[in-house]
Amino acid sequence: MINNNNILIKTTDVTKIYKLGDIRVNALRGVNLEIKEGEFVSIMGPSGSGKSTLMNIIGCLDILTSGHYYLNNKDISKLDDNQLANIRNKEVGFVFQTFNLLSRTNIYGNVELPIVYSVERDGNKKRKIMDAIESVGLSGLVKHKPSELSGGEKQRVAIARALVNQPSIILADEPTGNLDSRTGEEIMAIFQKLNREGKTIIVVTHEMEIAMHTHRIIYLRDGLIHGQEEVKEQISAQEKLKKMPKLEERLIEN
Amino acid sequence: MKRFLENIKIAFQALFLNKLRSFLTMLGIIIGVGAVVAMLSIGTGAQQSVLESVQDIGSNLIIVSPGSIEDVQDMRTTMMGDKSSELNADDLEAIKKEATLITQAAPVVFNSSVVSYSNKNTYSTVYASSENGRELYNMDVARGKFYSRSDVSNASNVAVIGQSTLKKLFDKVDPIGKIIKIDGKNFKVIGTLESRGTDMFGNDQDDFISVPVTTAQNKLYGIDTYNMILAQSISEEEIENACEEIKSILRKQRNIRFGDKDDFSVQNQTQILDVISVITGIFTVVIAGIASISLLVGGIGIMNIMLVSVTERTREIGIRKAIGAKNRDILVQFLVESTVLSITGGILGILFAVAVSAILTRFTILETSITLMPIIIAISFSTVVGLFFGIYPAMRAARLNPIDALRYE
Repeated sequence: MINNNNILIKTTDVTKIYKLGDIRVNALRGVNLEIKEGEFVSIMGPSGSGKSTLMNIIGCLDILTSGHYYLNNKDISKLDDNQLANIRNKEVGFVFQTFNLLSRTNIYGNVELPIVYSVERDGNKKRKIMDAIESVGLSGLVKHKPSELSGGEKQRVAIARALVNQPSIILADEPTGNLDSRTGEEIMAIFQKLNREGKTIIVVTHEMEIAMHTHRIIYLRDGLIHGQEEVKEQISAQEKLKKMPKLEERLIEN
Repeated sequence: MKRFLENIKIAFQALFLNKLRSFLTMLGIIIGVGAVVAMLSIGTGAQQSVLESVQDIGSNLIIVSPGSIEDVQDMRTTMMGDKSSELNADDLEAIKKEATLITQAAPVVFNSSVVSYSNKNTYSTVYASSENGRELYNMDVARGKFYSRSDVSNASNVAVIGQSTLKKLFDKVDPIGKIIKIDGKNFKVIGTLESRGTDMFGNDQDDFISVPVTTAQNKLYGIDTYNMILAQSISEEEIENACEEIKSILRKQRNIRFGDKDDFSVQNQTQILDVISVITGIFTVVIAGIASISLLVGGIGIMNIMLVSVTERTREIGIRKAIGAKNRDILVQFLVESTVLSITGGILGILFAVAVSAILTRFTILETSITLMPIIIAISFSTVVGLFFGIYPAMRAARLNPIDALRYE
């Protein structure tokens, strides 16, 4: 474990106001949040609670209306499009519910993508890509297209892509939402493994079951943090998987 | 640079994914570039063959013909023949005696006549001149000899034959010494002429018979005038001055009062070249018109398909942006794609034009010549079209908000 006291993400009084036509939507109404390096945090809340907006802001996809957001002690509230793109590339790895892979590009190409848009160049590109693919257990499928993969495999590719540039945080938005429970558990096992290796991971979810895999749960409601709690007894995805029947076995049972 | 190559790869992937659509989009450019390059190849070919035939005739040649040639339409009245302005032996003598900037001058009479040998008949041009007309008109003797000065002064019934007429009449028989009939009169064949090929308009220049000018005047056509007088200037540089000199000699000789128009015309090859360059200029303008219209249409097609492509790939754009692509990266990606589309179209168009030119050269009398210039112009214009019509769709793609783009279904 690396130094747990280093604050990676800090937001102070973050608000976000959308304009939908003439209506002003107060998506976030003053969010104060701290996430330390090496933490595994989940953000929960009903739809409309602002959790997607918060994730977009943390992921530098969106800019806040007022307040401050410090990532690695750097105020990024007022950066322009290009600077935000650089931070997304270097500091953030996204994992989406719908995988969001490039369908015409093979696994290697998909995992390569963040490197393609990197400002810095380094010679170990190929090794970095292969390491990332290896760490999610897909080394045998490097040349395959996403259409040839199962949902779980697609999500692993997405995780490999999120890892390849060694970002500070991994942001996962409902990463198990489109997967069956066993495959979802496998994905959570990968996240737990990555977290043990020191990665900071934030998962947005509405399933308590999933949130219970993390260290800390942040509840969001109506654009405000409603409460937080430490997870006392984390679910170990590895343990749970051992007890779960394999997909084929389940099919036979039914 | 590496990212640029990556963009080109992405562009080709996108094009290959929609082969038919890409091809149809490129068709506008293919047809436009193809038509322009093919037409330019025909134009260049024609120009080259004209220049060759001008050089064949000799650039020192001056042609004096009756009637004034103010513009092309007047040429018709000259052809019709305005009796009062015909050229005659006095005009020729005056030129020969007084002109200082010419080396020689020769009269020309031409007409169509029935020519026959044994049981074979043909229509042929009788082209009559004096002994030095051979040199002036670039006729080289293949076999036998040309008629001499004494043949001209005696109005002898002798003839030399061009290659095409020769083939029609004699086939494999040796023509030298044989007697042929021109309009029913007997002529002895004393020589044959080297082939001169076709002229700038594709006419056969070997289908003629040449006889002494006096014989043609007195025995065949009963005239005492000439259709043309040919003269040769002492040098290419002096040709304009030589023309002016001949004009003033003839005005004096023909008693044309000051202020009246010439009733004859003096031309040289440079004027013909001028006419050609005017024609070439018009040709170029027409081609440029066709080119710009077809490239415009092709460009609109590209823009249309790029807009569709941007919409289709909104999600892809969102993914790329989320992963760190800057607006500029997306802009370049789509610009490269539209440019690849148009340049590929341009290259296919050039290949198309090469094929068309090859077919034309082979199966028609048209001469074609594909030079590097139109190819370079075609490629650069298709690049410009790709960039110009690609910039708007590419900017739309680049400006997409990543969050909205990722949500796009």
